[in-house]
Amino acid sequence: MGALLTSLLPGGDRPLILPATGAAAVGGDPFDSGMWPLHREAYLGKEARWSNDPAIAVLAPKAAENSAHVPFLIDATALPGRVDEILVTVDYSPFAHAMTFRPGRALPFLGFAVKYEVAGALRASARIGQDWHVGAAWVSALGGGCSAPSVAHARPDWQLGFGEMRARIWPETGRLRVNIRHPQDTGLADGVAAHFLTELFLLDADGAEIAALDLFEPLEENPSLTFLLPQDLARGEVTIRARDNLGNGFRGKVSGAEGAP
Amino acid sequence: MSPISLHRRDALVGMAAAALTPTTAGLSTFGLGATFAPVPARAKTRRYDLRPVEVAAGVWMIEGAREVFAPANGGAIVNIVLLETRQGAVVIDTGSTLGMGAEIRAFADDRLGGVATVVNTHHHPDHWFGNGAFADRQIVALPQTAAACAQYGQDFAASLYAILGPWMSGTSPLPASGTTEAGEARIGGRALRLLALSGHTQADLAILDQDSGTLIAGDLLFLDRAPSLPDADYGIWLKALDRLAQLQPSGTVPGHGGFHRSSAALAQTRAYLEATRARLTQAADLGLAPIEAMSAGPAPAFAALGANPEEYLRSVIHRWADHETEALPLVGGL
Ligand SMILES: [Zn+2]
Repeated sequence: MGALLTSLLPGGDRPLILPATGAAAVGGDPFDSGMWPLHREAYLGKEARWSNDPAIAVLAPKAAENSAHVPFLIDATALPGRVDEILVTVDYSPFAHAMTFRPGRALPFLGFAVKYEVAGALRASARIGQDWHVGAAWVSALGGGCSAPSVAHARPDWQLGFGEMRARIWPETGRLRVNIRHPQDTGLADGVAAHFLTELFLLDADGAEIAALDLFEPLEENPSLTFLLPQDLARGEVTIRARDNLGNGFRGKVSGAEGAP
Repeated sequence: MSPISLHRRDALVGMAAAALTPTTAGLSTFGLGATFAPVPARAKTRRYDLRPVEVAAGVWMIEGAREVFAPANGGAIVNIVLLETRQGAVVIDTGSTLGMGAEIRAFADDRLGGVATVVNTHHHPDHWFGNGAFADRQIVALPQTAAACAQYGQDFAASLYAILGPWMSGTSPLPASGTTEAGEARIGGRALRLLALSGHTQADLAILDQDSGTLIAGDLLFLDRAPSLPDADYGIWLKALDRLAQLQPSGTVPGHGGFHRSSAALAQTRAYLEATRARLTQAADLGLAPIEAMSAGPAPAFAALGANPEEYLRSVIHRWADHETEALPLVGGL
């Protein structure tokens, strides 16, 4: 858990949100229950070797205060070996497959938020060679006694600033955070066509791929993503390239080099 | 809310419906609430046993628990004020449920000669979901408040049914039918000064009872209970606090927390807003992901306030984008 920055805030050395394993990670039922037996066959493969591994931490709030923006953080940096990919699935969603992250030269660490209206688990399956290491966090879609919905759905027309990309690298910690203005429409609402991001790449100064993300409908509107880069890459230039299902391309460049803006 | 974002909200509900198709008997009725295990119906309606206390001459206060909505408190988490007048009570806020509103009404009818008028300070549901018990009386609010109640009432109801279960029995949103505005008012011989402010929400009504000098602050003031920030604008709220500071009331009823004769709520609410704003600004500026900012908990000085850490966690979710936009430079686009 050394990759987390929670303790940088005063009092943050006693974190409120801790990873769970086994039944506690999926709401009390056995880990291999609910939609998981179906999802692991569909996404990991029928004969896939998998285990619930405490070394992959999935952090989430217990209750979704705003079901359109439920934040998660997957930290697989404690897994032994090089993580080839991390597949993210949501147990109870018409779009079970939320994303696949191929960390490549970045660390196996990813922050994001998804739409989440139904209580259930989000699972992160990290593949190292032929083995899947699976972690999860359970979120109640409402509740915890704190979740009267807010008026925050109100906001200017989405076309205002569509595609705008904000990002920053923190070279000291290797953090890279990106935000893209995008409606992320699922296509399930009458009269609103599906419109969502499908891929995002981090490229180094030479244009070579650092990491890649396949993205699907559940990603939040105006998504923010958190990556973790090794020191050498965090002190250089990184290009962020993304694309959506309607063929729009998005591009931005950040630098963690000394004296960079 | 633009028509487009209305569609987007539908899209989310659509996701829920699709996922739950085999098992959702109550979805169309309770919306989001259907995602929860059904709460067994109780034969008897629960009672709140509200205890109004006369905190100043003719100023009756029902103090709410310093908590967030929970089955154990039934939503009795908000302060209610009844001002005694010759024409009956001026009821300021009506609670979270029809049952709570009915108990407030009964007190007004039995002890204060009925109800002269009802005022809703702002659109958060703990302040007006008891309106149904006053359907035969005049209910007023600031115009933006009435509009927000109409717009978000059904969403609030779905959430509250999910959280409060049987306490919500019979409750349906009844937004204020009349509007009020800033200025002096005289009701049943009692002189009131209405202040139309904002910052906690887009429209926050505070009322100064001129007869007793008591300030009924609505949710612009909290005491020993963490302020709710989901609809907050820090800067505008702090300006509203400056206005309230000029009033020099003899006593104050905050929206949540105890009656007091000092400026404690003013100082504490200001300090909380400034500390929480600074904390989230710092978190975003250090590159934290929102879940890390949540996990760090409230600023230590405010960790023990009632309704924390729940209110702090809500604040991170709702306010994070403001801080993030500040912390992340524009680097590209389409
Ligand atoms: Zn409020």
